[in-house]
Amino acid sequence: MATSGSNDASHSPSPVGRGVEPLRAGQGNSFLLRKLHSLSGIVPIGAFLIEHLLSNFEALKGPAAYAAQVKFLNSLPLVRVLEVCLIFIPLAYHALYGVYIAMRGKANVIYYPWAGNWMYMMQRWTGYIAFVYILQHVIRQRFMGVSLPEHPGAAFHKVQMELANPWMLAVYVIAMIAVCWHFSYGIWLFAAKWGITPGVKARKRFGYVCLALGIVLAGMGLASIYAFVGPDYKNAPAEVAPAQSRVVAPASAGDDSNQYLTLPFLDA
Amino acid sequence: MAGKTIQFEVKRQSSPDAEAMWEKFEVTWKPGMNVISAMMEIAANPVNSSGQETTPIAYDSNCLEEICGSCAMVINGKARMACSALVDKLEQPIRVQPLTKFPVVRDLSVDRSVLFENLKAVKAWVPVDGTYDLGSGPRVFPQQQEVAYPLSNCISCCCCMEVCPQFNDATGFVGAATIAQVKLFNSHPSGKVLKEDRLRALAGDGGVQECGFAQNCIQACPKQLPLTEAISDVTRDVTLQVAKDFLRA
Repeated sequence: MATSGSNDASHSPSPVGRGVEPLRAGQGNSFLLRKLHSLSGIVPIGAFLIEHLLSNFEALKGPAAYAAQVKFLNSLPLVRVLEVCLIFIPLAYHALYGVYIAMRGKANVIYYPWAGNWMYMMQRWTGYIAFVYILQHVIRQRFMGVSLPEHPGAAFHKVQMELANPWMLAVYVIAMIAVCWHFSYGIWLFAAKWGITPGVKARKRFGYVCLALGIVLAGMGLASIYAFVGPDYKNAPAEVAPAQSRVVAPASAGDDSNQYLTLPFLDA
Repeated sequence: MAGKTIQFEVKRQSSPDAEAMWEKFEVTWKPGMNVISAMMEIAANPVNSSGQETTPIAYDSNCLEEICGSCAMVINGKARMACSALVDKLEQPIRVQPLTKFPVVRDLSVDRSVLFENLKAVKAWVPVDGTYDLGSGPRVFPQQQEVAYPLSNCISCCCCMEVCPQFNDATGFVGAATIAQVKLFNSHPSGKVLKEDRLRALAGDGGVQECGFAQNCIQACPKQLPLTEAISDVTRDVTLQVAKDFLRA
């Protein structure tokens, strides 16, 4: 038979010496890496996303309530360890390995414009959007400007300043939808790929559940964005005292001096 | 009806390393004509639509009734069996090209050895070698047969692999067909003796984990195999096997 000088000839079963390599039975550790990627998207990243969206939702109650939520989160035991182990490391892994996965797929929606195939492609594109967005979001909101762990009262103002730029607002809106899409379809994919919903009907039903979840999460996220740019809390002060309880307290900058003495979440 | 013709554009390649080019053909219409019968006519009378004599078209086909899996090709942009592609239902000119993810041998004939290698890698067989009389086999209940039969319909045409965005040179993904056969043989009362071997094989690079659940396989499969269900079930089994192996190591 004809042979060719192609350098993958040794892997190919084909007499013509090229083509897709057969299964490397029992070799390598991509199974573990891929499953870890899949799992990390649900826990801890998905769990963190829900926490983040719920916390952002506090912004609808105003700067003081938002500050109280930021303060509460930063008062969690070992919070910096939690941040690194449950957010930064899993997020970095999910993002980088996700890009690696996405780059190796060959989307073919043009030839096969089927619903599942569209979702396959969208999962990759929403992933790319999330990657770029989260990178700038973490750099600009976590590591640049006022340090929120030390000044939780400055949180509302910091976000409001960021969203004052209409381009940034557009980025946040697009990214919010993309991230919620990626997460809710990610849950659906997780159930399908881990053998939780093998049945066609079960997958369809669970699809509606994930769709509803995605809409709720994106709706909450967009509502939170509105809290920062809407008329209710225009020109929030640079720093406010965190609310004393879950009930909305009037924002005042007067009691800054004793903010280290009160633990509002314990008073509640 | 006399004189009605069908326009074809066929992607041709004289050898694995030759450059591919499109050639146009015109074939006299016949009732019930399908793409493979048109290819037969072109091969029998290799004259292109500009009247020039050309080389006979090479293609794979055998049963002509969508049961052997030989004649899979890309017809008007979609991977399908040429024998069940009725020309009356296709837009003209009908563009026929070889499967794009398998090495071309010549014209429409491609080398699908990778599927055979994958089936060997997962031991897709019942290990009964016939060296001595094992007596009658274990009873298979009708409920089990209901699950197994659709999976046994695979004709190894490779359409599921052709349409899969994850089946490519970068991933070396095993493809839906092989995973479905793992489910079939793992459910067989004699075949399941190799269940653990098959699951461990599928945890290797290019295994079940590479599936991106685009679900093109189930759309393209000419035999309507429950491929996504098989992938879901087998991936769960592979995950459990890997976990067991880890804890028992």
